Amino acid sequence: MSLRDIGVVYHKELIDSLRDRRTVISMTVVPLLLFPALTLGMGLLGATLMSRAKGEVPLVMVVGGEDSPRVVEALKRNKKIEVVPGSADFEDQVSNKTVRAAIILPKGFDAAAEHGDAQTVGVDYYEGDIKSELALDTAETSLKDYRVTLAKQLVSERGVPGNLVEPFKVEKTNVAPPEKVAGSTLGGLIPYFVIILSLTGAMYPAMDLTAGEKERGTMETILTSPVSRTDLVLGKFFMVLTASLATALLSLTSMAVSFFLARNMIDKLVSEDNPTVHYAIDPVGILAVLLMVLPLSVLFAATLLAIALFAKSFREAQTYLSPLTVIVIMPAVAALLPGVELNTRTALIPILSTTLVGKELMAGNHPWGFIMLIFLSSCVYASLAIAAAVTMFNRESVLFRA
Amino acid sequence: MAEPLIQVRELSKHFRTYHRREGIWGGLQNLFVRDYKTIAAVDRVSFTIDRGEMVGYIGPNGAGKSTSIKMLTGILVPTSGEAVVNGFVPYRQRRRYVKTIGVVFGQRTQLWWDIAVIESFKLLRRIYDVSQSDFDARMELFNSILGIKDYLNTPVRKLSLGERMRCDLAAALLHNPPLLFLDEPTIGLDVVAKHHIREFLREINREFHTTVLLTTHGMDDIEELCRRILIIDHGKVLFDGELRELKQRLLRTKQIKFVVKDRADGEGLSRFAVNGVELQPVDELTYRFRFDRTKVSAADLIRQILASVEVRDLLIEDEPIEEVIKRIYAGEATLEVPA
Repeated sequence: MSLRDIGVVYHKELIDSLRDRRTVISMTVVPLLLFPALTLGMGLLGATLMSRAKGEVPLVMVVGGEDSPRVVEALKRNKKIEVVPGSADFEDQVSNKTVRAAIILPKGFDAAAEHGDAQTVGVDYYEGDIKSELALDTAETSLKDYRVTLAKQLVSERGVPGNLVEPFKVEKTNVAPPEKVAGSTLGGLIPYFVIILSLTGAMYPAMDLTAGEKERGTMETILTSPVSRTDLVLGKFFMVLTASLATALLSLTSMAVSFFLARNMIDKLVSEDNPTVHYAIDPVGILAVLLMVLPLSVLFAATLLAIALFAKSFREAQTYLSPLTVIVIMPAVAALLPGVELNTRTALIPILSTTLVGKELMAGNHPWGFIMLIFLSSCVYASLAIAAAVTMFNRESVLFRA
Repeated sequence: MAEPLIQVRELSKHFRTYHRREGIWGGLQNLFVRDYKTIAAVDRVSFTIDRGEMVGYIGPNGAGKSTSIKMLTGILVPTSGEAVVNGFVPYRQRRRYVKTIGVVFGQRTQLWWDIAVIESFKLLRRIYDVSQSDFDARMELFNSILGIKDYLNTPVRKLSLGERMRCDLAAALLHNPPLLFLDEPTIGLDVVAKHHIREFLREINREFHTTVLLTTHGMDDIEELCRRILIIDHGKVLFDGELRELKQRLLRTKQIKFVVKDRADGEGLSRFAVNGVELQPVDELTYRFRFDRTKVSAADLIRQILASVEVRDLLIEDEPIEEVIKRIYAGEATLEVPA
């Protein structure tokens, strides 16, 4: 092995790849366009839908309220809904979304309520329709409030203190810092995307440098040069790794920039003190994720090279490598499922472990033991893959497969 | 006498391949049960080549030429036999060995497709450890013989095939190797480009005693460049010797073309077409006699014709060498390898 020769091969492949438009596109355009489009598009869509749903005052029909003016009056006091008089086709109207919900009061509700008789109020709504669900929430809150008021009034008439009805109140306070909230909502996604992109970024050059070379017939000319086959495959490997890391790095940068832009834009749209999505992300977390993805990139680059080398043509290489995307996505997706957690067993599964630890890192946690274990195990897998690629390259039957 | 530059003894290369069945059912069968067989692409080939020789290595497609070249350039490891080239065993001491050879595959290039030629040269200079002063001197020389200066800054893909081949030759000789392997160097080139390439090869052979082993399908390459040829088919050497000797042994047919004064003289020629002598009219005043040179003396025939017919011009030709080679490939002409 000669570092100088590896360097010469690497230099050649790098210049060659940079002049190849397809490599550059797969390396840069995808991450640079995908993330802004994804974050801005999804973020804007979500924010717009939420703010529109919140901005619209839903119509709520009160059915059977003719003989109960007091409860209708209490409902009308809530400005978050607009009460409309009932009609017989209320169910259809809820289904057709001409009203968002319908409150069905029993006959003589006010009168029965004053006597303290037990009765049931129905609310019709349309599940899955966000506006209908909001109307339901508001109507329910209004009805509960009215129930408490009514109960207080009833017990005080009987000489019992009103606070017995509601002996305590519940007050919620969020103590999670914004980056932790972002960590749990987006933290899983960031390592996932970085892993997938470090694979796709390596894919094209891996095929081009092996099967493509065979197809062009330049493999023979390279093999007649005084560079050992091991140095040749290592030079190629570093080129593929460069493409993989460049894609991962570019995607992270583009993600960071688009999150930053998205936060400003969405904050303007959702002008409330309680934005629905937190976009605060810990830059140290991102760096840590990149470091953890490094051995995985090595694994990808070497595996792709070893497999693509077996193919005789570019097309054949594509056939072999496409299923690999699915194989990589599966553990990465599994890590996003609830209940899949970091333990000594999952820490040894490549890809899954990196996504899981990435999730933790993004949430600001640093499980050092696992970090070391995952980094080391990934390094072991990566070295095995490099060894496989070198072995393949030294085999005549693979290089000149009939 | 000095050691031969190339010594090949009983060199063989076997490939394992399988019989591919036909049709859909056959295709499915192929996936599971394979009927493997071993093919000897090169079968116990022996020869030696001396320093400064230019040898044509010819044979039909699939004869084993490329496999032999790949073994001699260290890309493939032989199944059996041995080869010593430039004092190295190519497949064992490959890295040191390839610094002493140059290789050009006519249908492929070792130059980078998308970038200027000079960049490829600079990279090769680093790979082959050529000093800057040697590099400059070589570039000067190649430019004077090949005239490559004008397109050194052009990307390879924009070069014509002839220009590209000149650059490829220059690239293969950048490290001044004493031995050059050429696989179809003139394939697809026009007449002028072929001429330039041959001139260049003759020049380096004369100036630097560079030994050249070339495979080709163009017999004009062989006739212009090589005194000696090796004919290989089905992995075996069929002939190893001088081209002249091959011709002497195998050229049976001689042709004489006569240009006569007028048509009456032409008709007078027809009475000489006897005893196995064929007469073919070429045009109104030109006629061609074909005969077996072992049976009919050309001198006698000419003397007789000149005595009775007024001849303006005559031309004695051998059978084209392509025809001979075709007969050898078809198995019609048998050759014995000289010991």
